[in-house]
Parts: sequence; C-alpha cells; structure tokens
Amino acid sequence: MQAPIEWLKEYVEFTQTPEVLAEMLTMAGIPVEGIRYLGKDIENIVTGKIIEIEKHPNATKLSICKLDVGNEVLIIVTGATNVSVGNVVPVALVGAKLPNGLEIKASELRGVMSYGMLCSTTELNIDSKLLSAKEKEGIYILSEDTTIGIDIREALGMDDVVLEFELTANRADCFSVLGLAREIAVLTGGTLKKPMIHLHETAEERAANLVKVAIEEPSLCSRFAARVLQNVKVGPSPKWLKHRLQAVGMRSINNVVDVTNYVMLEMGQPMHAYDYNLVSKHSLTVRKAQTGEKITTLDGIKRELTSDMLVIADQVQAVGIAGVMGGLATEVTSNTQNVILEAASFNGVSIRRTSKALGLRSEASGRFERGIDTVNSIRALDRAAKILEDMGACQVCPGIVDSYPSMVLPRQVSFIPQRVNAYLGTEISKSEMLEILRSLEFAIDTNSDADRVIVNVPTWRGDVQYQPDICEEIARIYGYNKIPTTTPGGNILRGGQEYTQSIVDVIKTSLTGAGLDEIISLSFTHPQVLDKLNIANDHVLSKAITVLNPITDDFPILRTTLLGGILETIVRNLSKKNDDIKIYELGAVYLPEQLPLDTLPKEPLMLCGALVGKRYELSWNQGKDIVDFYDAKGVVEVLLPGLGICDYEVTVGEHMSLHPGKTAIFMKEGKTLATVGELHPQVADAFGIQRKVYVFEVNIEVVVNCVKLLAKYETLPKFPAIHRDLAVMLPLTVAAEQVTQAILASGGPLLSDVRLFDVYVGEQVANGSKSLAFSLTYRDKTRTLTDEEIDVFYKNTVDHLEKTMEAKIRS
Amino acid sequence: MEQELQSLKQLALVDLSQVDNMDMLNELRVKYLGKKGSLTSALKGMGALSAEERPRIGQIVNDIRSELEAIIQAKSETFKQAELARKLASEKIDVTLPGRKVNIGHQHPLTVTLGRIKEIFMRMGFAIAEGPEVEQDYYNFEALNLPKDHPARDMQDSFYITEEFLMRTHTSPVQVRTMQAATPNQPIRIIAPGKVYRRDYDATHSPMFHQVEGLVIDKNISFADLKGTLELFIHEIFGKDVGVRFRPSFFPFTEPSAEVDISCVMCSGGGCRVCSGTGWLEILGAGMVHPRVLEMSNFDPDKVSGFAFGMGVERIAMLLYGIDDLRLFYENDLRFLRQF
Repeated sequence: MQAPIEWLKEYVEFTQTPEVLAEMLTMAGIPVEGIRYLGKDIENIVTGKIIEIEKHPNATKLSICKLDVGNEVLIIVTGATNVSVGNVVPVALVGAKLPNGLEIKASELRGVMSYGMLCSTTELNIDSKLLSAKEKEGIYILSEDTTIGIDIREALGMDDVVLEFELTANRADCFSVLGLAREIAVLTGGTLKKPMIHLHETAEERAANLVKVAIEEPSLCSRFAARVLQNVKVGPSPKWLKHRLQAVGMRSINNVVDVTNYVMLEMGQPMHAYDYNLVSKHSLTVRKAQTGEKITTLDGIKRELTSDMLVIADQVQAVGIAGVMGGLATEVTSNTQNVILEAASFNGVSIRRTSKALGLRSEASGRFERGIDTVNSIRALDRAAKILEDMGACQVCPGIVDSYPSMVLPRQVSFIPQRVNAYLGTEISKSEMLEILRSLEFAIDTNSDADRVIVNVPTWRGDVQYQPDICEEIARIYGYNKIPTTTPGGNILRGGQEYTQSIVDVIKTSLTGAGLDEIISLSFTHPQVLDKLNIANDHVLSKAITVLNPITDDFPILRTTLLGGILETIVRNLSKKNDDIKIYELGAVYLPEQLPLDTLPKEPLMLCGALVGKRYELSWNQGKDIVDFYDAKGVVEVLLPGLGICDYEVTVGEHMSLHPGKTAIFMKEGKTLATVGELHPQVADAFGIQRKVYVFEVNIEVVVNCVKLLAKYETLPKFPAIHRDLAVMLPLTVAAEQVTQAILASGGPLLSDVRLFDVYVGEQVANGSKSLAFSLTYRDKTRTLTDEEIDVFYKNTVDHLEKTMEAKIRS
Repeated sequence: MEQELQSLKQLALVDLSQVDNMDMLNELRVKYLGKKGSLTSALKGMGALSAEERPRIGQIVNDIRSELEAIIQAKSETFKQAELARKLASEKIDVTLPGRKVNIGHQHPLTVTLGRIKEIFMRMGFAIAEGPEVEQDYYNFEALNLPKDHPARDMQDSFYITEEFLMRTHTSPVQVRTMQAATPNQPIRIIAPGKVYRRDYDATHSPMFHQVEGLVIDKNISFADLKGTLELFIHEIFGKDVGVRFRPSFFPFTEPSAEVDISCVMCSGGGCRVCSGTGWLEILGAGMVHPRVLEMSNFDPDKVSGFAFGMGVERIAMLLYGIDDLRLFYENDLRFLRQF
C-alpha cells in the first residue's frame, strides 16, 4: 500500500515531516517501509512550448527549436523527431540536473549554440508502467493546457512524497488512504475529515428499473450493490486524478476506470465498471463458474475457469471473475454511453483460491483476501458516482440496486480494564483506555459497567475479536515502549538440556578436539546423489521422502544419509584448493516408515565425517603424511571411550559406499555403533574426487543408549606389573583383533593389558605372512608377581596361538 | 722442612696460576694433593721430626693443603661455569620458528551462536525442547490459529510432502507439542531450536535455516514480562549498550504481537546499508500467546497466560560476526568455517 502525503492531508491535518510520521506509524503497528520523494533528483526542468522548429544547417538529423519557457525564449538543438510547433515539453535548463546524473550545459552542436535539452520520460525517470506506448517514445509531449514555465515536478504532480507501507495481514482497513488517515489522526491528535457525499442524481430513470442484480452464492458474496450512470463521457482523467494514481504507481486508463480505482485506494472498496449496453439483459448475477467456462479478462488473456470459482455473469456469459478481474467483453471504452458501477463484498478465502489458481493477483483480489468492510460498499458507490458527477462525466440514476442477504452488524467485544493492565503489565487508567478506543471509532456500549467495558467494534476492524485484541489496540496507541520491562515471576523451573542434547554437545566437543571442522548442509538432496553413493534401489536408504513442490530441480528429496552432503562439501572445498579436509556433520536424516508418507518419518540423528589430505597442517616440523584408514578409525576410537563406551567389538564390515577391503564396523550388543572405511573408488569417481577419502559414520541414537558417563574410578595399582613382549608370525589373513582376543582369552587372570606395538610385512618374514608384536602386562592388585608364575601363563598363550592360528613365535 | 714446604707451595701456586682448563687443573690436583702427590710425600717425611716439631709442621702442611684446595675449587667452579656457558651457547635454537601445530577443529558458526543463545536462556530457567522437522499440518498451522486458507499461510510458503505433511516452516509447532504433552495450565518455560524450511532461495533467503522458538506460560505472565525477558536476552548476546525497541506487529498465534528491533550493530543506529538507513535491525518476533492457541492445546486462557517468541539463528550469527552473505553458512568453505 502506498499513500501520498498530500492525499492523506485531504482527510487529516498534520505538520509532521514524512520521516517523523513514518516513525509514528511504524511504532503503532502500521509499518512504513519506505519514503519515496517523487521527482527526486530533478532540478531546473521546466515546461516549455515549442514556438519554432527549423532544420539544422549542418546536420540532417538535428533540428533547432525555439522554446518559450515562460520568462525567456531558448534555442535548443535536438535530435528528436516526434516534436512539432505548439507542443509543450519538459525543458532541462542550463544547470539542470537529471536523475541519471547528467548536468546540462550550454554547448555548441555543429556550429549552433544550444541552451538546454528536451526530455523524454526515461530522462525524467518516470516508471514506464505508468505510461502509454506513445508517451514512452521520444520527447515527452505534455498536454496542451499545461502551464508554461512551471517546474516539471509541479506539472506532472511529482512534487509529492509517498509513504510505502508493508502492512500486516490483519490490518485490512489500512489498505485505504482513508484508513491510514484515521491512524494518523489518532496518533497526531488530529481530526479525521471523511469526504462529504451529496449526489444530485440528475438522470431520470431509477437504477432499479435499469439493472437487476442477484446473488446465487450468499456464502461467498455477502453484498452486491450497483449504481447506473447515464450519458457517460468517457475520456482522459483530469490531472489531479491522473497524478494521484501515478503517484501510487497506477496507470491512468480513462476517467471512469480511474475513478473506480481512486475510490478503491481511498476507501478500500474494490469497484468495477461495466458498459451497461453490453451487459445482456442488464442483469448481473453472482454465481459459480461452470467447469470449463471461459472468459477473456481485461488484460486480454483468455482464461478457463473451474466450478469452485465465483463469477459475475449476465444472461449469456461470465462478464467478470468476482473480485479478481473484470471481463473484456463489457469493458468501459470510449464508445461507452451508460455504465453499471459495482461495489460488492466477496468471501476472502474464495477469492484467494481463485486468484492463486489463475495466477492472477490484482489490487482488488488482495483487498478481498484480507477482508473488506461490507457496510462501506454503498458509501463507495456513492463516492465514485459523486466524483464522476462533479467532473461532468455522467448523469447518475437515482437509487442503488443492492443485494444484501444478511446485514453485518458491529461485533461486540467486552474487556475488563484491570485485566488488560494485568495482561500488559501496565497501569493505564480506564479513562485513557476508553479515550484510545473512541479515537479509533470503537463505540462504548451503554451496557458497560464499572468493571466490564463492552465496545462495538467498527465494521472495518474484522481483526478485533477477543480481549487480547483490545489489549493490542490500547498498547499500540499507548506505546509499546512505554510498557515497563519485568521478568516473569511465579514458579522456578529447572530448565536445561535433555540427555541426548548434552551427549551431542560432548560429541561435538570431542570432534573439535580431534581436529575436525563442523559443517551444516541442506536437508534436501537429489536421487542422483543416492545413486552416486551406490545405494541400491531396494536399499532402505533409497526410500527417500519426495517434496511435492521443491524449490529447484536440484533438491527434490530429503536426505537419508549425511554422506552425500559430506562428499559434496569435499568436492566444493577441493575445487577451492582447500586440500586438507577433516569435517563432520551431525544432524537428522529422514527415514519414512512407508511411502507415500502416512505417519511422521523417523528422524534419527547421525554423525558422518571424512578425512582427506595431509594428516597435519603443513609445517616445517611435522610430517607430510597423508591420512589413512586408521586416522578415521582413530576418531571413532577417541569418540566412543570419551562417552564411556569401551567394550565394543570391531569387525570387518560392509558398506555400499566403502571399499570392501577397508571397512570396519564397531558393534555393541548386536547393534552398529559406527562404520569406518575408505570411500569406494567408484563412489569417489562418481563424485569426481581424485583423492582418497576416509569416512566414518556413527549412529547417534545407538551411541546415546550405550553412553556411560560418570563411571566409577579404578584405584591406582600399589604393586608393580610384569611386562612381556610377544612377537608372532602369522598368515596375512589373520586379523590383528583375532590375535588380541586369543591372547586375552589364553593369558590367564593376571593378564591386564595387551597392546599391539608393531606390525611388519616384508623381507624379514615369509611371503604371505606378517609379524605382529604385542606387549603384555600382568598384574595382581594384592601382591608382587614372580617371573616364574608369569612364565606359565606366557607359555600357555604361546601354545594357544601356535595351536589355533598357525602362529610361529619369533624369538 | 718448613722451607721445603714453602717452596713446594710457591711452586704449586705458580702452576695453578697458569692453569686454563679442567684437565690441567685435575692433573695439578693429583700432582700436589693426590695420594702420591708432592704434599702427601712431604707429609711422609714428618716421621723424622721431633715430637715438638711435628704438630707445627703438620699444621703448616694442612694450611697449605687447604689453601691449594680452595684455589682448585674456585678454579674448578669457574671452569664449570664456562663449560656450561659454552654448552648452552652451542644449544641455541631459532625460537622464531613456528611451534608444532596442534590440530583443533571448529564448530559451525551456527552451532556456536545457538550455543550462546541456549546458554543465556538456560540461565533463565528455560528447558531446551525439540520436535520433528517433517511436521503435520495440524501442528505447523492449525493448532497455531492458522486454519487452512488463512492468508497468513502465504507469509511462509511451505515445502509440502503430502497434503497432510510438510517441512515445518517455523519452530512454533514445538510450542504446541510441548503444551499438549504437558499437564494443562502448568507452567512451561522452553526454547526450541531447530531447522526450518521455506520456499525461498536467493542471496538473503535459504530454503533451510535455523530458528529458536520460545514459550513461557504461567499464571499472570504479562507483556511486560515478555519485554523484560527479551531485553535481557538481547543485552546478554549483543551487549548492554545495544538499544531495543518493540513494534506492534501481527502473527496469527500471538496477540498482542511485536517485532523486536535492536539498534544497528554495524552503525550503532546512525543508519547504514545493513539497517537500510533506519538505524534499527529486526531481530525477533514475539507476542502474548493467542487465547485460541492456548485453548486448542487445553490450556485455559482465563487461568494462565503466556508469551512466545521466535528468532533466526542465521540473522543473529550474521550480526554477531558481521557476516554479509547468508549462503556462506551452507557452502561450508573451510576458510570460512575455520574462523569460528
């Protein structure tokens, strides 16, 4: 919504600057988003009349114009071809500044001095959508009756300031200059002067004898009223009208259409004008469209309607889409002699659906959607007829044809001032409350008593329904910023985080310590990403939730794994030469129980991370080693014990996106805690990654269930331990973890720790073999051990390994 | 004898005066004071002395020994110091070389910002609540006083999954879930952080972003309490000097409703590009919980009242760190992430 200051001043006097006024309105809940100074940056441009044109002696494409600019006659050389003697045009004088920054100087053009410039609409920075095709061409030719020698801003009504509002959905009443003026009157203490309407109704025939209206759908149309105008002279609008419409960005069409638009802007009531003679049987009915019914709207587009759309129809066809746009067939044109003026009230939801379905929004539909004041329709009709009558553009037929099935009465809302104060935390007196409400034209009902006030809400304030709405009216006029600040009393609540949230914090801290950077990627992804991850069509992770209305073709589904986002992040960083990457994401994936969705999907929290590139930041004193599988595994091995999870099992694993020979699974009680592995070369290829990527994936929900924080501490040993080293040669196929477990199983009760400290494959051992070296620690908490007793246990372990896994002990 | 001893001493003193290293000093120690040293040998000649002479000469020998030992000790100390100084000098390193890097990762700026927000509200006794990101229309809209066809649904164009399910457009459904899980009319004080989704994608809009919702319900909760709580929060996170103002606004689920502005953190209110010259930045939406919303979740608006608020985490992070492009949060460029 836009409102020019001069227009507002027609209804309320105020002296505040536009800036101050904007601030006052904004702080009262009528947000001003911008202040537009019309004709800004236009200086020293005046109206001038061409009194002589002659060809330039030295240039075929130039002419020399002699212009009367009021107090002098100027010679101006121009290349324009659309000007002729007698035209009134904008003349930029020497010293003028154009909005595009150009400064006009006296200059010589092919031997002739030129003292100024003739301007086009572009040079005046006039919005092209306000102009006709003819006006956009060449020099802007002003109407002949334009006064000569005046500032162009005055001539074009560009000397006003326009407030641009970004109104909230509840304030339908402020979608009118008059509604805004009412707010200004309340805020500045001024008096609202509503326009006086005294119609002469000079035509003979009563409207009721000329036109019939009917509502077939009273639930979708609560009122349909019409007036008839005769002997209409359709023509250009007077300047004041044109300028007002243009100031708010609306193009002038003709006097009749302009007046309907003007009254809509002024009073908030959308209106429509029909060519009376073209309406079959002069009868208008509000009905639902037939399926497939077609209408060509005023914008020249043929539209097909559906049966839930409301139309205005004559006896033959639809002549308008109710509340959205009129039809071309009954358009008011220069041939029109008689006019039906319509002011109706349509159901907002219905209008909204129709305008959405047709992709057609208009000033009218926007107002109906928010809800208009049905009581106001007749005043609007009268107002429009009156303006046209005053212009001498028509004779108004006596009377109004009004279909108004059930009368709208002001809503009554009651409130208790003491409770309003309790709700707001204020101490506003009852009389001040009543004063605020009265200024907003709420009527205090006589049934009010000392404690309870009953008000009749103005019919234009459909948003005021409950006591809290009354609180808001009082608070916004009283001033939100005058309300004190307190802190909530009452019960003390415990607050804090839930268990899982705390664990997530611990995990993130742990990963930060492990040198990983956290990323956050979009929850949306593409089926191709799942394909690239090698997820089979029958795999549970391929069952992704599809978004009905994705924003781009890139994101039609919800992610079922975090790995896609991680890999895409790696690709993006590698392309920016961020070569050494250690990242993780912790977030939900979306797993439907079934598709299409019939219950909420599962949203398990997952953790996924990846390592690429150098293990350490490039530095003079650190190795330039590249990360490997064991770096990724090490992250999980730091993470889990940090959460008190120690007794897990690590086995060879499988994962569709990972290298089959380099995948490990961390299990506990049959559940997968985590998976670690090298990215499958095919997957890396599919993403275009030419580096080795090591990935870990952790199921946060499983982990959270296993967490054991605050475990009991273990007393420190009082007696020394005995250490033995054990080096064994084994077939390559035997997993280290198997050997460790075998040592633990055979080592006897005193074996307290087994640590693998060397792995060797190479010339020193037989082909197909490897050497593993373990450090074994034996300890008794109650005494010092002897070598002899440990020898027995050690021997037992050696025997066991030799027997069960073809191990040879190296000595 | 006595003369012999004195000349031995003179000899030793001359020798010692010429010593310039530890080895020579040790040699001289052996030469004069060792088991087979000159002074020891001299003592052996004492047997020939008379009983009267013996103690006197013995005293002289001891004095000479003490004197020589003291000199040797002093010389030795000097040499040790010199040796240490040499050693230390030879061990000098270039201390300006960079230290060995400890690799510490970084949390995402939104996590860091959210952490600060959570911490402030937890100190005020708020609990952290969560809810699903794929949500039912009922929780996202209807129970928040946004029936189907409500024009305000346009304000947040949604990603739909089916007619019934959608990506939540705000964290407000967590309010409803919290109320419906609670005992009616019992006090509630929560914030609900999380991801939300809207169909907007340009330089200033991301289809996914983060919000923090807040809800306080109790007896006698007032608009003044809302103001006090949010002002406290804003002063904690943006500093005590930042200006705060409350503007009337409209949300279907609160009444009265407010937008909360802070004085521009970039220009301190003077007007700049970030605040579009107004000097103010919109930071929060808030209001008193609408009686319809309370009723729909079985709370009695005649017995309790409450306030709710919502803020964008990205917005706050952008203002805290001076980040000027929303897309940076989701591009995950390590050069960006490692700054936090």
